[in-house]
Amino acid sequence: MNRALPEMLHCLSGPGNGTDMTVLERQRTRVKWQHQEQQNYFGGSEFVGGFLEPSQASQVGDFQDLLGGGGGGGSVLRDVMTRSVKPDPGLESGWPELGRYELPDLGFGSAVLMNGSPTGFEMNSTIRRTSSCPPTEAQVAPEAKGKVSEPAEKMNSAVGRESFKKRKADKVQNTKVVAEDDAKDKRSKVCAEEGESKITTEQTRTKNTTTHTNNREISADTSRENSKASEVQKPDYIHVRARRGQATDSHSLAERVRRERISERMKYLQDLVPGCNKVTGKAGMLDEIINYVQSLQRQVEFLSMKLATVNPRLDFNIEDLFAKEIFPACSANFPTIGSSSEMTNPAYLQFNPVQQMVACCGLEMGVNTPDLMALRRTISAPVSLPETYFDTSCFTQLQPPSTWDADLQNLFNLDSHQGRSISFPSQPFTGSVEASNLKMEI
Amino acid sequence: MASSISETNFEESKRIKRRKTGDELRDPDTIDRTRWRSESEQRIYSTKLFEAIRQVRRNSSPVNKVSSGRDIQDAADRVLAVAAKGRTRWSRAILASRLRLRLAHNNKKHKKARVAKVTGSIRSKMPEKKRFIPALQRKVKVLSRLVPGCRKVSFPNLLEETTDYISALEMQVRAMTALTELLTGSPVDRLASTSVS
Repeated sequence: MNRALPEMLHCLSGPGNGTDMTVLERQRTRVKWQHQEQQNYFGGSEFVGGFLEPSQASQVGDFQDLLGGGGGGGSVLRDVMTRSVKPDPGLESGWPELGRYELPDLGFGSAVLMNGSPTGFEMNSTIRRTSSCPPTEAQVAPEAKGKVSEPAEKMNSAVGRESFKKRKADKVQNTKVVAEDDAKDKRSKVCAEEGESKITTEQTRTKNTTTHTNNREISADTSRENSKASEVQKPDYIHVRARRGQATDSHSLAERVRRERISERMKYLQDLVPGCNKVTGKAGMLDEIINYVQSLQRQVEFLSMKLATVNPRLDFNIEDLFAKEIFPACSANFPTIGSSSEMTNPAYLQFNPVQQMVACCGLEMGVNTPDLMALRRTISAPVSLPETYFDTSCFTQLQPPSTWDADLQNLFNLDSHQGRSISFPSQPFTGSVEASNLKMEI
Repeated sequence: MASSISETNFEESKRIKRRKTGDELRDPDTIDRTRWRSESEQRIYSTKLFEAIRQVRRNSSPVNKVSSGRDIQDAADRVLAVAAKGRTRWSRAILASRLRLRLAHNNKKHKKARVAKVTGSIRSKMPEKKRFIPALQRKVKVLSRLVPGCRKVSFPNLLEETTDYISALEMQVRAMTALTELLTGSPVDRLASTSVS
C-alpha cells in the first residue's frame, strides 16, 4: 500500500521522463499518505475487521453493500472495499459489474477504468493501485489517467508484480509468508483474528491473486528479513515465534523446533548419565550414553548370573522345608519373627530395612557353632555350590535366631545330608521368611 | 500359569497402593521421567522379580537342573517391561519379542519358520558394504540397537526412549543387587556396578 505511489511513478516515468519535480512531490505526499493510512487503519481496524470477515466469503452482493454504505468512509472505505474484494478470485468475474458500481465513488479512477484494461487482472491491479492512493493525489490523478490508459498492459502487470514485491517487503514485519495459495484462505481466517496482521494478509491476498512466481521471490525476500515475525499456520500446528535475527523461513522454523526438542532431551540425558557434564556436543554425549547403557546391561547380566546360582538353593530349601515339616514349627515362630522383622509384610522386598533386620538378628542371637554345624548338616541342599561364595565373615554375621534352637534340636534328629553352603546360615532365615511369605500369599 | 495368577494378585495389590500414592498426570507427549525412582515402583518391581525368578526355577527344574543366567535375565527384563505398563516402545518390544519366541517354540515342528528366520538374518548382514556414514549417524544407530525395539525410531523419540530405558535399567540393577544381597547374605561385588550409586 505504501508503494502505490511509486508504482504510479514507475509507470509514469517509464514512457517519459522529466517528472523529477513531481516525483519529489509524490514522494512527500506518499510519506504523508503512509502515516495517514496507517492511522486510518489502526483507527478503523475494527471497522476493517468487520468488513474483512464477511468479505472472505463475500460475493458481489457484499461488495455492493460496502460500496453503498461506505460513502462516508472516504479513502479508508475505498481501500477496505478494494482489499476486501481481493481474497476472492471469484470476484474477478464480477469486476466489470463492479467497475460500473465504482464509477460514482472513485472519481479519478473511473476515467482509468473507462480507458482501461480489458482483463480482470489488469483491472484488479489498476483499481488497486489507483484507489489505494489517498485523495490528495488529485494532482496525480489526471496524469495517472492519461498514463495508465496506455496500452502498456504488460508494463502494468510487470509493475504490478514489482509493486506486490515491494509491498510484501514492507509488510513482512508483521507476517510470516508461507508461499502457498492453498493455505491462503485458512491463513486469512487466522490472520483475521489478529489486529495488525489484517493489513498484511491483504497484502498476501493481493500477492496470491497474481502470478505464482511472486510467491517464491517474496518468500526469498522475507527469509532475508531480519525482523521479528510470528508464524501463523494452520490452527493445529505448534505456534513458533521466530526470534530476532533468525530466519523466518518455514523450513528453518520447523528445523528449529526439532533442534530444540532434541536439545531438551539431551539435557535430560545429561542429568541422567553420570559424567556427561564434561563432554559437550552431541557426538560425545552419545558416546557416553552408549557406554552407560552397555554397562548397565552388563551389570544386569552379571546379577542375573548370580541370581541363577542362588536360585536352585532357594527353591530347594523351600521344598526341603516343606518336606521336613519344619513349616509348622516355623509357623509357631511367626509372631516372634514378625516382631523382629518387617518382612512379614507379604511380598515386600525392602532394600534397606531388610539389611537392618538382618543385622539386628545377627546381634540378637548368639548361636554356638555346633548348632550351626548341625543345622548345616541337616538342612543342606545336596547341591554343590561354588566355593567362591564361601565367606566366614557372613557366617558369623548371620546367625539363626535363638528361637530356632528348638527347631534345631528337631533337625538334629533328622537324617542329615552332607553338604556345604556358604550362604547357608542365611538360608533357614530366608527360608522361613519365604515360607512366611508363602503362607501369607496363600 | 500359577505364576501369572500370583503375579496378578501382587500386581493388583500393588496397583491399589499405587493409586493411593497418586498417579501423576502424564503429558501425552512426554513420559514421566522420575517414574523409575519412586519407591513404590521399586517395590512393585522387586516383588514381581522375585516371583518371576522363582517361577523360572520351578519351570526349568524338570528340564535342567540349573537355571542359566540368561533365563534369569530374560525374566528380569520381562518383569521390567511389565512394570513399564507398556507406555514405552522398548517395553513393548521386549514383551513382543518374548511372545514371538514362544510362538516360534510352539512351531518348532514347522521348519519353514526357522529357515526363514535364518536366511533373513544372514541376508541382512552379508551384502553390507562400508559406507561413509557420519559419526553421529553411526552412534545413533548403535544406540538404537542397544535399546530394544528402537531401530527405526526418529532421533528425538530415540532419546526419549533412551531416557526411560536408562532409568528403568538403573532400577533393575538396584533391585537385583538388593535381591542377591539378600539371598546370598553377602555384599555383592561392587566392581561391576561402580557406576550405579
